[in-house]
Amino acid sequence: MGDSNIIIELKNLTKRYGYGDAESYALKDFNLTIRRGEFIMIMGPSGCGKTTLLNIIGLLDRASSGEYFLNGEDVAGISARRQAKLRAKKIGFIFQNFNLIEDLPIIENVALPLVYTGYSKTARLKNASSIISRFNLQEREYYFPYQLSGGQQQRVAIARAIVGDPEIILADEPTGNLDSRSSHNVMEELKAIHSEGNTIIMVTHNPALTTYATRVINMLDGHIDTDIKTIADQNLPQPISVKIKNRKVKPEVVLGEIEPSKKRRRRKSHRRKK
Amino acid sequence: MALLFKTHFRLAKTSIKENRTRSFLTCLGIAIGVASIVLILSLTGSVSNLIKNEANEIGSDLIVVRPVSKKDSISNIIAEFTSSNTFEQSSLSLSDVTAISNIKDVSAVAPIVTSTNTVGSEKNTFSSVPVLGTSPDFIKIEPLALRFGTFFTNGNKEKGVVLGHMLSLSMFNTINSTVGKTVTIMGERFMVVGVLDEIEESINFDNVDFNNALIMDTESLDKLMGSTQVQQINIKAANTDSLAAISDEITAKLKENKSGDENFTVAYGDDISHPASSLFMIVSGILALVAAISLIVGGIGVMNIMLVSVAERTHEIGIRKAVGASSQNILMQFLFESLILSVLGGLFGIILGYVLAFLLSIITPFAPYINWQILVVTFVTTIIVGIIFGIYPAIKAASRDPIESLKHYR
Ligand SMILES: Nc1ncnc2c1ncn2[C@@H]1O[C@H](COP(=O)(O)OP(=O)(O)OP(=O)(O)O)[C@@H](O)[C@H]1O
Ligand SMILES: [Mg+2]
Repeated sequence: MGDSNIIIELKNLTKRYGYGDAESYALKDFNLTIRRGEFIMIMGPSGCGKTTLLNIIGLLDRASSGEYFLNGEDVAGISARRQAKLRAKKIGFIFQNFNLIEDLPIIENVALPLVYTGYSKTARLKNASSIISRFNLQEREYYFPYQLSGGQQQRVAIARAIVGDPEIILADEPTGNLDSRSSHNVMEELKAIHSEGNTIIMVTHNPALTTYATRVINMLDGHIDTDIKTIADQNLPQPISVKIKNRKVKPEVVLGEIEPSKKRRRRKSHRRKK
Repeated sequence: MALLFKTHFRLAKTSIKENRTRSFLTCLGIAIGVASIVLILSLTGSVSNLIKNEANEIGSDLIVVRPVSKKDSISNIIAEFTSSNTFEQSSLSLSDVTAISNIKDVSAVAPIVTSTNTVGSEKNTFSSVPVLGTSPDFIKIEPLALRFGTFFTNGNKEKGVVLGHMLSLSMFNTINSTVGKTVTIMGERFMVVGVLDEIEESINFDNVDFNNALIMDTESLDKLMGSTQVQQINIKAANTDSLAAISDEITAKLKENKSGDENFTVAYGDDISHPASSLFMIVSGILALVAAISLIVGGIGVMNIMLVSVAERTHEIGIRKAVGASSQNILMQFLFESLILSVLGGLFGIILGYVLAFLLSIITPFAPYINWQILVVTFVTTIIVGIIFGIYPAIKAASRDPIESLKHYR
């Protein structure tokens, strides 16, 4: 646990639904260790517990038993309020059905997580606006979700997930409702986010997408069936080194190892400059 | 924290704007309740102001003796309110008047005896004319102005009467040549010695409609009717310092007269307007109850609309929680919304209430009465209503499970 490179550690995690005869397990004695900067794809048949796993990692749900350490902190004992705070600061969610608020324009949807981390309205809109331009949606800032295509909506959702500068991105079948072209766009965005040092955990049914991942986990009936590091894992340093060069950070950063503290310092100063 | 407040406020504003019609109707419910409360408070304030002003005009040296023992008891007031002939049960008599006039430092004593009689002139007869029996001292106590002639005096009190402005007009079609004319009451002939000026205030502490009344001496009235009941005794003290002492003495004397029975009240200062205004308080209390009920109905409207809003926005709640809203955040968001609805309705209601109060002042003598207490009371009330009826929907919203909520599509 002393390893600061480990961001998520699950030990004997169990999620039980129902009691007695109706008892069933969505997760059973689930063990998983995730290091910073990993891009994990989770696959598996329907009902094997993928969404349940993401919800627990994302602090939307609590496990029935077992331990969950987030950044070394045991999550089981913390208050709902602190959970919400962690959700706001450390975790970004991307859903299959986008889950944008229909009544709010794009820019306010993107700014939503900042509402709960104490930004002023102007700061919120400014941050959201710069993220939106990164996704080439700046002309549509004041569109409402129903005025966008599915692919565009999902890009908005990704923008919302990263606007608060979280460490972990959780994506539950983000391409499930999209055609292959839009899927490709979304994956490229996720790849870019990953290359900036974020940890991404993504659930998918599409085996073709696993090429983006550094690690592919196959689940079966609430436990891990296979857990494979991919070729992309070896390629991991490449995009990072490019980005680091761009941002004029000390060149001696060793490829393949992402220093979390440095990463965050860099981002904050980056924001201050604007 | 202040930032979050601002955000919640903005969110609530947006949501209210989005559902304009719905929000307006909800506000209207609150507004009607608040408007009726404002109207009643304004009326109450206006009436007690009128009475107070009149008591001030009469002067601070006035002492009033009224029948009825238990001061301000609800049953007395209700009895007074429901029966038309309370004065026939009066415990005061003319001998009490004599007793009081013998007290030192009493400079004038005027009993108030009311009855209704048929009064005739040479031309025609009028039935149900309010007849006020009093003493020549009356004019020393009450600031009634005479338009023509004089008030009757000890010299002419046996046959002299004074007519109210309206009564003179209707009996003789004039006011300026009424003095010296003859009126007939129960066969007895009396001479008009004075005509009162027109009186605008319809409420006074004697409960007499002076504009339509005929005023004569108590003893003459007593002789005519065979017996009379004294409704009230007005006493003017020689100086204002001894009011307490005099009223104590009056109490003692009257008790002696009635062999120990204390079935009367002696009042001076602000207390004088009390019996009349506590009758009014009962009426306005009942009205306030009705207003409170309508405010509760308005509050239920707020609760209803908030429950609909929570149901409609379940998906939104799920999304907000997923991106980091705590239950408290959600609670505040919805509570703010109901608060704003209710306070908006309240402001609207205060305006509406005063518009109604103003319209009422056109047809009644009650001027709209505004003071900061009324504004504060209604404002605080709407905040309380907003919280009471908003807290349940807000708790409901806050306790929504995020995962379940995310599955709610519209
Ligand atoms: N609220 C619930 N009550 C009871 N059982 C539940 C609940 N939520 C999920 N489950 C059960 O938990 C198991 C895992 O569900 P989960 O949604 O995690 O599957 P999944 O792997 O995401 O499937 P899919 O690929 O179809 O999305 C399923 O058998 C499901 O029936
Ligand atoms: Mg799923």
